[in-house]
Amino acid sequence: MADTKQITFRVRRFDPDTDSAPHWDSYTLNVPDGMTVLEALHQIKAEKEPTLAWRSSCRMGVCGSCGMFINDLPMLACQTQVLHLNADAVTVAPLPNYPNVKDLVPNLEPLIEKHAAIKPFIIHPNSKEVDEPTGEFIQSAEEREAFSQFTYCIKCGLCLSACPTVATDPLFLGPQALAQAYRYTADNRDCGLKERLVALDAFHGPYQCHMAGACSQACPKGVDPAFGIQLLKRTLVLDSIGFGNKPKHVAKVMPLADVVKQIEEFAPPPRTVK
Amino acid sequence: MRETRLWSLHILVIPIIAVLLGMHFALMHYAPVFYDVSVDEAREFSTMIERGKSMTQFVVYTLLLIAGLYHGLYGLRGILRELPLTPTLVKVVDIGILIFGLMIFALGMYVTWWTFNAPLGG
Repeated sequence: MADTKQITFRVRRFDPDTDSAPHWDSYTLNVPDGMTVLEALHQIKAEKEPTLAWRSSCRMGVCGSCGMFINDLPMLACQTQVLHLNADAVTVAPLPNYPNVKDLVPNLEPLIEKHAAIKPFIIHPNSKEVDEPTGEFIQSAEEREAFSQFTYCIKCGLCLSACPTVATDPLFLGPQALAQAYRYTADNRDCGLKERLVALDAFHGPYQCHMAGACSQACPKGVDPAFGIQLLKRTLVLDSIGFGNKPKHVAKVMPLADVVKQIEEFAPPPRTVK
Repeated sequence: MRETRLWSLHILVIPIIAVLLGMHFALMHYAPVFYDVSVDEAREFSTMIERGKSMTQFVVYTLLLIAGLYHGLYGLRGILRELPLTPTLVKVVDIGILIFGLMIFALGMYVTWWTFNAPLGG
């Protein structure tokens, strides 16, 4: 049997129906090597406190549901192994900078609203081609590389809870939305910067970023939103002095026949085993 | 003006302030060298007024006043607007800072212009 260590979990509890203010409850578990904070919470719920509430889904750092404030840092509970925290006591609280629904469940509405405000989708001037495609938009590997890392965002919201500016200015769009604004603006198929300016070219846009970099440290997917914000600032400044026009370079359409031809050209070798 | 231009301008004036502030320090600390006077003479009011009559000094201080005021007040606006303000208070902050800036600019220009045109010897 694997070695275990006795760990005390201090969990912040809050039930809006019965509590006027949050309080802390402690639970002690024998934690084996490899156990994650999420698994520990499941064990607490199964054996000690069935009313404990949190949000989780995939258990493997993909869905971004289980963001929590673990030992005063925003982390995904499913990706955080208890013994790797090197502490005898582990505090678990809901993500800061969000309203608290219950126990460890944050209300992620601010994240979704800010994300929606920057129009997180490809805005192409040829809407007919988008609605009734006759081929594929051409995008080279280099063009994709320009924004590739920002596509890994799983909308877990850890960056917003780590951001000191969001803490003082709740209207600040925040690292997630701003990095996504850059992700779409830098995409050679997109031509929607002008439509995004309403949200971006405003006081609570990228210029409120104090460059603390906490967002990039908190991101569980290795995205660097702080860098994305700086790239977005550069894009906006260039656009404001007339160097941001992209329509000329916007992705061309490759006819379907050519797409099929290319697929055939790069087809895998024939099967050798039947 | 949209935020991008306001912010760009606030960044753009940083090197201008650095150069002008350097000139200001040089003018202050090396006045005895530049104007061929003793250290005690350099501190006298009449010598200071005489220095203020040079076109270089007039231009340096006018530009420093504009650049410093813009940079400083843009920063102050940023701090104040991070507070949870109502839309009305946001307008009050924006307009208030603009009026305050214009007042300080007028005062600064008055002093610089008066010094530039003052009769010799104050």
